[in-house]
Amino acid sequence: MGIIVEHAARSFGDVHAVRDATFIARPGEVTALVGPNGSGKTTLLLMLASLLAPDTGRILIEGRDPMTDPLGVRAVTGWMPDILGSWGTLTARETLTLTGRLYGMPNAAAQSRAAELLGLVDLDELADRPTKVLSRGQKQRLSLARALVHDPRVLLLDEPASGLDPAARVHLRTMLRGFADEGRTILVSSHILSELEEMADTAVFMDAGTTVSDERVAAAKSSERAWRYTTVDGRTETVMIAGGEPDAAAVLAGLIRDGVQVVTFAPAVGDLEHTFLDLEAGR
Amino acid sequence: MTTTFEPQTEQHWSPPQRASWWAGVWTIASIELRQRVRGVAAYVLLGVFAFILLLVTIGAALAVGAWADGSEGAGGAVYAIVMVVTLLLATLVSPALSGNAINGDREEGTLATTQVTLITATQLVLGKVLAAWITTLAFAVVAVPFILYTVILGGLSPSTLVVSFLIIVIEMGVIAAAGVGLSGILRKPLMSVVVTYLIVAALSIGTLIAFAIVGASVRSHYTYVSESADWARVDRDERAGLDPYQADRVPKPEYCTEVYSYESDVPRFDTVWWVLAANPYVILSDAVPTTYDRYGSPNDVFGFIKLGIRQAQITPQLEEHYSDCDPNRYESSEPRNIIETTVPSWFVGLALHIAGAGLLVWGAITRVRAPARRLGAGQRIA
Repeated sequence: MGIIVEHAARSFGDVHAVRDATFIARPGEVTALVGPNGSGKTTLLLMLASLLAPDTGRILIEGRDPMTDPLGVRAVTGWMPDILGSWGTLTARETLTLTGRLYGMPNAAAQSRAAELLGLVDLDELADRPTKVLSRGQKQRLSLARALVHDPRVLLLDEPASGLDPAARVHLRTMLRGFADEGRTILVSSHILSELEEMADTAVFMDAGTTVSDERVAAAKSSERAWRYTTVDGRTETVMIAGGEPDAAAVLAGLIRDGVQVVTFAPAVGDLEHTFLDLEAGR
Repeated sequence: MTTTFEPQTEQHWSPPQRASWWAGVWTIASIELRQRVRGVAAYVLLGVFAFILLLVTIGAALAVGAWADGSEGAGGAVYAIVMVVTLLLATLVSPALSGNAINGDREEGTLATTQVTLITATQLVLGKVLAAWITTLAFAVVAVPFILYTVILGGLSPSTLVVSFLIIVIEMGVIAAAGVGLSGILRKPLMSVVVTYLIVAALSIGTLIAFAIVGASVRSHYTYVSESADWARVDRDERAGLDPYQADRVPKPEYCTEVYSYESDVPRFDTVWWVLAANPYVILSDAVPTTYDRYGSPNDVFGFIKLGIRQAQITPQLEEHYSDCDPNRYESSEPRNIIETTVPSWFVGLALHIAGAGLLVWGAITRVRAPARRLGAGQRIA
């Protein structure tokens, strides 16, 4: 179950947006989809959301193929696009109620679901204002709520954190963590790697339309990276350490032995960012 | 905040049944309608429309003297004018209301979020056609008081009212469907609106121009032969006690001695009359049942338009012969005969319109269907 993608490819004319995507996203986990601009993340998500047909390869969402059973896939998948479209003159509440209706819910169920979701994404106070007056971050939250209307088992989120203020980001993170803990499959793409770092259980790296193999990711992870420590007197120092965490531990032990009063000691950039930058550099 | 989600064992809803298929269409339509109803523009347009109809009604009534005493039948003219203006304004407004239904959503980023729901492409497109149709029908509804007033003024038959109103309603649906269809086929809203207008113009005016140009350029040779009686001899013989007449004081053939003839070319509108069948106003006039006065002339304006169209079907006589000595010399076909002996074409035109609109709608459905295999150049999905 979850998401299984095998050698999916899609081109637009002579632009190969996705060349070869292969990965698994498991239920109960938040899977990060990481890659530079133009690496094919959005195209991949469009294929997963049953909007775009892959030229070759196979996609299974909860065991269903979007090519042969698009409605089956849509019934279990919530998709939050990277662009924020909304029915401008409709209110947030109407938007969610009507989306529920589009998923075949009876009117009463759609209304109570809309009320529930407005609370969840903290839009209660703006529920009866037309969506065109919402700010970017508020539209983002409405977009997330819309993806959740039919209580999907699989969530595809394209840049869900962009436009959110720090409090809303923390909220989003908690929410997604909660969804994963309920056994849902969450696939999140984002440029804000530190953000993903804190909530993702695993990551899929994409580069030039291709998912990066586990070996390459492992190699990138263990390459030389910067560690940063601060001392009691407020000094911040950066050291380059080549051999991964055991070596870092040895360096820290050495510092303490030398009488340096270390209060924090951590990688200068997160795992995802380090891997991402290293893959970028290795191209 | 903790989530209030329930585990995945049960769903809030059951999968859509066949019975709810139209409910899905209606949901799409109501989303469209809600967005339009909240815009001020629609109400302003309706107000302007009502005002124009008021002016037209008053103006037409004054022009034909419908309020004067003993002006029976003049109300029918007012009625026809109001109907034609209603159709005209509806065809002018409808493309603007329907021509961006789908590609406008694409640009706003609301099409894809609808496509990922359990709504099918067919439901989506039909819902938008329905909404566009209903919006255009608002104009027909605004016209109802004027139409009823002119019906009463003209003392028209219910069948005239029902048929003409039905045709207008169907024509509005055709334009709404064509606009929505084109908005699904063409990428740019501006293009689809313009193309919809071009189609309306081609049918309303283009057919007339094609009819006139082709009809006038296809010409046949025409000969006219006229025999005049020698009236001086007729008078002389009558005075002399001879009887120069056949019945009804028509001279006997031997008195017709002055033969005059001329030749020319006549336009052959009978070769292109069918072009007019696609004209919405022709469809309207041709479909309305005609009532006749005691001279066999149509009672209303639709009838006269119908007469004109039907006359175009008749192959002109390429040799005409007139003689003062022919007892039947003044006999001509009365209008009623012409209408009753020629072919009604409105259902052909209407069928063509419906088929064309259906084709465009089908084209839109195939393009809205997801997962999409083929995308137009520069087309975005979301």
